[in-house]
Amino acid sequence: MELFGQTVICGILLGGMYALIAIGMTLIMGVMKIINLAHGALVMVGMYVTYVCFTNYGIDPYIGMFIAMPVLFLIGCLIQKYMINRLVEVESILPENQVLLTVGIMLVLTEAMRLMFKSDYRSVTTGYSTDTVYLGGMSISVAMVIGFFIAMGFTLLLHLFLTKTDIGKSIRATAQDRDAAVYMGVNSSRITMLTFGIGAALAAAGGSLLLPLFYLWPDIGHLFTAKSFIITILGGMGSTMGAAVGGLILGIAESLGATYISMGYKDLVGLVIFLLVLLFLPGGFRSLARRL
Amino acid sequence: MLKVKGIDVSYKDVQVLWDVSFEVHPGELVVLLGANGAGKTTTLNAISGLLPLGKGTVEFDGKDISKLPGYKIAELGIVHVPEGRRLFPEMSVRENLEMGSLLGEAKTKRKETMKKVFEQFPILEERQNQEAGTLSGGQQQMLALGRGLMALPKLLIMDEPSLGLSPVLVKQIFEIVKLINNQGVTVLLVEQNVNQTLNLCHRVYVLENGRIILQGGGKELLNNTHIKEAYLGI
Repeated sequence: MELFGQTVICGILLGGMYALIAIGMTLIMGVMKIINLAHGALVMVGMYVTYVCFTNYGIDPYIGMFIAMPVLFLIGCLIQKYMINRLVEVESILPENQVLLTVGIMLVLTEAMRLMFKSDYRSVTTGYSTDTVYLGGMSISVAMVIGFFIAMGFTLLLHLFLTKTDIGKSIRATAQDRDAAVYMGVNSSRITMLTFGIGAALAAAGGSLLLPLFYLWPDIGHLFTAKSFIITILGGMGSTMGAAVGGLILGIAESLGATYISMGYKDLVGLVIFLLVLLFLPGGFRSLARRL
Repeated sequence: MLKVKGIDVSYKDVQVLWDVSFEVHPGELVVLLGANGAGKTTTLNAISGLLPLGKGTVEFDGKDISKLPGYKIAELGIVHVPEGRRLFPEMSVRENLEMGSLLGEAKTKRKETMKKVFEQFPILEERQNQEAGTLSGGQQQMLALGRGLMALPKLLIMDEPSLGLSPVLVKQIFEIVKLINNQGVTVLLVEQNVNQTLNLCHRVYVLENGRIILQGGGKELLNNTHIKEAYLGI
């Protein structure tokens, strides 16, 4: 029973951090109607920024994330303004061009990082990396607890931003009906730029929170792209709340898989749930909530 | 106030508007009449800056606005209540109204304007926290109108507000339009509903196959033989 409890709690904590990354992806998907396949690469770049801050300047990852976030926000804005928005303007043969572009961006980012940092596995070791707290008989990693609460904090802040501010409402309005938003005087190309920036910054935040827990190498981005894609589908595309729930579910599923099947198969559990959802609940968990 | 001068508009290779010209004077209620596919909505989208012009200009208060991007045109006080209402379905009624007042003066006066809109449409106040997508058709049209009014428009452009509504509601909506106009807002109304709109407006332009073929006072055109044959079936 203790093992089960520990597994579920670990899953929830991990899932909260996954959710933060996926919320970034779902925000971009909602507004731009594209799957950003470079999202994991943005997480990876964010992790490297935090990593460099830690190794070169001794900045703690939880503080380093506040450097990584603005850096990635800027990168995100530039990608949207000078690459994706340009593709929207030209007539393309394939409507999927923008998605293909994100694959290209992902490759460039991954290889650029490989050029700078080699393919070596890296990790940060902080004073609390290996610390654990005990809850009854369950031991839980301190880094996970801190990461979870920061992730939840950011999710809450984003929720307030989207529901309480005019810019946040403009982002939601653009996602729901772009032309109508323009009629209201919303500068839609600025909103898409801002959205991509925020999405990238959230990716960096999620990555930085996971840095004390994961090894870092340039190809780790693929892992996060896959995870956030699965979560986005689980949650019902474009729904922030859905992504939060989807993140928790994926976290718990992986954690259970790692404990009761085998560490090596933990990603498989997530993928099986993904397939089942696609087959039997194509609208994601959001459609369940609608039915209630 | 609004001067459309000889505009041509095309979707890629297909030209939809040919040399369309018309004017709206301050305080007027002008109707742009036409059947499906005549180019009414295209004309409005060209004014609102969503479509590029092939030829001609659009002037507002003496300023050429034909090269401005869409969001800048909204800033000038041209407010577009689009066809099919185009609300933000997953946002609440109140949020939809707030979206109408993003700019300048409208933003500072948001609370006052919303109070006035709620007075005009009490049902919206009652439903203010409900998602817009869950409203009935008539309520949605009222919300679309209310959202337009939130922007404190100088010129209110309405694209087929009667679309998909029952005759009773259509009558009600047109009464509201007339009321808004009487309060001093210039209105450009696009409609296929000939009988009711001709009775209520100051002037009419008739659009057929992308060209303006007729213009005149509302009551005067009611007796026009072409209008009678083509639109009223008399």
